Amino acid sequence: MRARTISSTEFDRLMDPSAATWKQAGAERVKLEGSPLGMQPTALIRAAWQDRKIGAIDRVQIAALHDGERLAFRLEWSDPTENRGNADNVDFPDGVAVLLPAVQGAPIVTMGAPGNAVNAWYWRADDDTNVRHVVAEGIGTSRTVSVEAGLARGAWKEGRWQVVIARALRVETVDPVAQLQAGETTGIGVAIWDGGSGERAGIKSISGLQWRKLSLDALPTARR
Amino acid sequence: MTESKRQLAMVMDLNKCIGCQTCTIACKRLWTRDEGMEYMWWNSVNTQPGRGTPRDWEDMGGGFREGNAVPGKLPTRKDFGDAWEFNHEEVFFGGKGDKVHLKVKGEEPEWGPNWDEDQGAGEYPNAYYFYLPRICNHCTHPACLEACPRKAIVKREEDGIVLIDEDRCRGYRFCMEACPYKKIYFNHVEKVSQKCIFCFPRVEQGVANACARQCPGRVRFLGYRDDKNAPIWKLVDKWKVAIPLHPEYGTDANVFYVPPLAPPRFDENGEIDESNPRIPNEYLVSLFGPKVLESLEILKGEMAKTRAGGKSELLDLLIAYRWKDMFGGFDRDPATIEWKKA
Ligand code: SF4
Ligand code: SF4
Repeated sequence: MRARTISSTEFDRLMDPSAATWKQAGAERVKLEGSPLGMQPTALIRAAWQDRKIGAIDRVQIAALHDGERLAFRLEWSDPTENRGNADNVDFPDGVAVLLPAVQGAPIVTMGAPGNAVNAWYWRADDDTNVRHVVAEGIGTSRTVSVEAGLARGAWKEGRWQVVIARALRVETVDPVAQLQAGETTGIGVAIWDGGSGERAGIKSISGLQWRKLSLDALPTARR
Repeated sequence: MTESKRQLAMVMDLNKCIGCQTCTIACKRLWTRDEGMEYMWWNSVNTQPGRGTPRDWEDMGGGFREGNAVPGKLPTRKDFGDAWEFNHEEVFFGGKGDKVHLKVKGEEPEWGPNWDEDQGAGEYPNAYYFYLPRICNHCTHPACLEACPRKAIVKREEDGIVLIDEDRCRGYRFCMEACPYKKIYFNHVEKVSQKCIFCFPRVEQGVANACARQCPGRVRFLGYRDDKNAPIWKLVDKWKVAIPLHPEYGTDANVFYVPPLAPPRFDENGEIDESNPRIPNEYLVSLFGPKVLESLEILKGEMAKTRAGGKSELLDLLIAYRWKDMFGGFDRDPATIEWKKA
């Protein structure tokens, strides 16, 4: 997929998922599949899900725009139930994550590997104005890192989630997060959790077991 | 899986529990007073036969069968009985104390943590019940720990206490599904799972767990499993009277119970009938497995011995003449320690 460029003034409006500016992005439709049962890390999870469908959400529309400094993703998918809470023990919130390699060549299937981190920009409906930055170097190793200038906004309207997740292309941190720049091509993966179906952790819809391509347009020459 | 070098354990003598809930309140006041913990009772005491806490927990799955993980259900807050809110302001501070009575705010509750207290089973004059106090069993093969995809649960090497690392926990609640004893609680404010910590900050200072030390019935013994001077080893391994609850769950629980003996039955003529036990054997077997019958026989044998004028090490131990002897060396007075909040 392609992240087109827009001006910084226009970028400022993108945090509203219904902003008209998003129309310029050219959203791409991505099919999702359930994460494989055999990849679930514990016997209990495998036993509990062997006869249940993993991956309630089967497609997502994803768009991306950047202004040379910041990158924003807009994700939209159909979900008839809005699950925001943890109010009861049986309630789980909806969520979405955009996964990027922090190190080129990091494996997506295993959520990274030691020394080859992946970086998720993770949004959850129980905390809908925050993006959590997660780094992982293998299944079960994910940890939250603090990253400045991460923003998110989610809204559920008429059976559809619309979520915007944004961050500066480059950030100051010692943690292995994705560092991006205009003109570059990297990998991308998407994961969606349907809280209403009890999805959490590795029980989710994913965009596949391979990285998809993400190309950030180069900046127009006049603005370099 | 890491194996612990030593294991702390508890024995609860069901013949002495009076259902006073002092243990429950001792635990509540010490550990579960923060926001999001209102409905938690890391220690619970229920009447048996009964539906227990959470309601019908024995039908919720979890644990292991032939070594394989068994899926389990997530109990709801209502299943636990939730935390009722009362109209205290109105009654005590609203100037309406003579018109308004103390009641639960909002919806009339239809279940609580001790809803079926003292109901029991059986027909007059042969009705029966007993109390069953429960905490996390700090299992040798903890289903909760093995279910967690984040390795957020640890079993301490030095004493086998099972703890949740709240910094690693993401509130996924697979542990709650997996624990067959349903002793994991989800904190919906902090969004993490929480459970009995076996009072590890006390135990580390040589002080017995609050539930054990506060128990007026002298029900709870404490100590290392392998300490031959501690009551646990004597009751579990030497005398073989203390047995785990639901051994078929496959987690190797480290809380053991001395099973309840009941008074004899009466027959139709009101005569004492010793031919059948008042608490049906099948019922006790359904809770503690077939070993419960052997355990009851040992108890009866020792009782007969003392009735005939003999001495019984086992009964002396269970009577707990010396309170401090119950704690396997963890008998330091907590008032002698200056406690600091971390
Ligand atoms: S009783 Fe449940 S929570 Fe406690 S250690 Fe055993 S499986 Fe884990
Ligand atoms: S404090 Fe002791 S006697 Fe009272 S309910 Fe608890 S275990 Fe039973």
